[in-house]
Amino acid sequence: MADSAHTAALPANAPILTMRGISKAFGGLRALMGVDLDLYAGEVLAIVGDNGAGKSTLIKVLTGVHTPDTGEITIDGKPVTIANRRHAIDAGIQAVYQNLGLVNSLPAPANVFLGMELYTGLLGIKMLDNRRMRRETEAILRDKVGVIIDDLDAPVRSFSGGQRQAVAIARAVYQSDLKVLVMDEPMAALGPEETRHTMDLIRSVRDRGIAVILISHNLEHVFAVADRVQVMRGGQRAGVVTVANSTREEVLGMVVGSRATTLA
Amino acid sequence: MTDMATAPPRKVQLPAFDRYINIIGPLSLIILLALVMAVVQPRFFALNNLMIILQDAAIYMVLGMAMTLVITGKGIDLSIGAVAALSAICMAMLIKDFGWGPYPAMAAAILVGLLCGLANGLVITKLNVPDLLATLAMDLVYRGLGLVLAAGAVLARFPEPIPFLGRGRVEEVIPTAAIVGLVALLIGFFIYHRTKLGRYAAAIGGNREAAMLAGINIDRHKVAHYVLMGGCAALAGILLAGRLNAIQSTAAQGFALHTIAAVVVGGTVLFGGRGTMFGTLIGVILLSMVTNALVLLRFQFFWQLVAAGFIIIISIAFYTWLQRRTGETPDE
Repeated sequence: MADSAHTAALPANAPILTMRGISKAFGGLRALMGVDLDLYAGEVLAIVGDNGAGKSTLIKVLTGVHTPDTGEITIDGKPVTIANRRHAIDAGIQAVYQNLGLVNSLPAPANVFLGMELYTGLLGIKMLDNRRMRRETEAILRDKVGVIIDDLDAPVRSFSGGQRQAVAIARAVYQSDLKVLVMDEPMAALGPEETRHTMDLIRSVRDRGIAVILISHNLEHVFAVADRVQVMRGGQRAGVVTVANSTREEVLGMVVGSRATTLA
Repeated sequence: MTDMATAPPRKVQLPAFDRYINIIGPLSLIILLALVMAVVQPRFFALNNLMIILQDAAIYMVLGMAMTLVITGKGIDLSIGAVAALSAICMAMLIKDFGWGPYPAMAAAILVGLLCGLANGLVITKLNVPDLLATLAMDLVYRGLGLVLAAGAVLARFPEPIPFLGRGRVEEVIPTAAIVGLVALLIGFFIYHRTKLGRYAAAIGGNREAAMLAGINIDRHKVAHYVLMGGCAALAGILLAGRLNAIQSTAAQGFALHTIAAVVVGGTVLFGGRGTMFGTLIGVILLSMVTNALVLLRFQFFWQLVAAGFIIIISIAFYTWLQRRTGETPDE
């Protein structure tokens, strides 16, 4: 595998992000019980697990949607408090959700800059700087996402699924000094061709030094694009494997736990 | 999902024809109508008749500008006729009964319009009444207030510049009202393309959820759309009072539907997300041409209503067909 050298080099570096002993309960339901997570720059870490295993709760803690009951998070070795979405964004953590949060009737630059438009002044009148937003969008897509889109003036509804993902990622990149990109089931609603494009996109983002957390149900996708896999089960970390040294069967066994032998 | 494996990749770029269809469509109707009129009634092209068309269109340019923004933000305003009448009546009464000068009275009329728009916006956003029903009900309120104030009387003969605005001519050729209308549309074009107000209208109308996630204060922007609409309705009321040199509470009956028709004919998507000020200009002129042609051809006035209704149905059906063909569907 072309990525093996890259993967093997990981343990030498300090992780860019650590989560230690994260617990979260909703009323009587203990969604997370002392979960750890390590993420290295320039890797794709897949998080897999059954429904209710704690995947999305863990991610929501990381992106500031939920506040953990206990546990600590460090970024670049420094402890951080992530109590809301803004904290997460400021810390360089952004999530791209399955529905992407794009306005399909607007072109790519308007989407990338939605809610944080750039302005220019003319005779004291503040107005949108469409030209600069277009230029910056082009640059972000090219340099940070690794994609060139021909027609930046077309509404994004005319884009392919992969191109729309790219726009959503460009938006995440622009919003912060992006270190960690969380992608929640990005391939769930896509056909084979689009899935391939999205995986290329994930690799391309990773190769530009951004750590990617990929949540997926599909082990084929996980093994095609991830460097390491963290398996969640019953609100705990069931294990972490390196894709290069593991098999789908091993991961599936960790996902289903003791029932592995009867199911696999 | 199996059928997706064989499906060709989605086409990435809309052909130019599809992208500009909302301009090409009404523009070709204008040309068609012009050709027909050239054959059956050449008087249609007399300079004075063309200027009358522009003057008729002017009020709808002012209204269409704000309505384009409202509809782009997934709203609609059915109360604009009543707001126009109420504002013009306030202006007329301040002049006639209270001895105000024309300028302060016009300013007061605009203020009344802005307040009506504010009320509409607050009913929609704070009381969560759907736009259509809220403005339909508020139409009754404003119409009723106008009747209460003027008690059914006709107020006539206003001091300049009110008649000049409504029916005067600059250099004895160009209708003043048309200049007001075109300036309004130019401002609208600027708002739509160069301000947060316009950009967020498209975002709110296109994908409310995404707009909210982007931190856009949806309620505040929707209220702003209706306030602008109210102000424009008041200006239209002033132009109407000037054109007739008279105003009564029952004036401006068909404003809302005519304006919505012009905006939709021009290519603004009735369900929000995408608007076009240039298209609105084309739509307004097309509808005014049709009205004028029917008059010249000596059709009974009421046929105008029939024609306007058909044009609305045909254009909405056409755009819906077009959107389905290009795979364009609302986001939600």
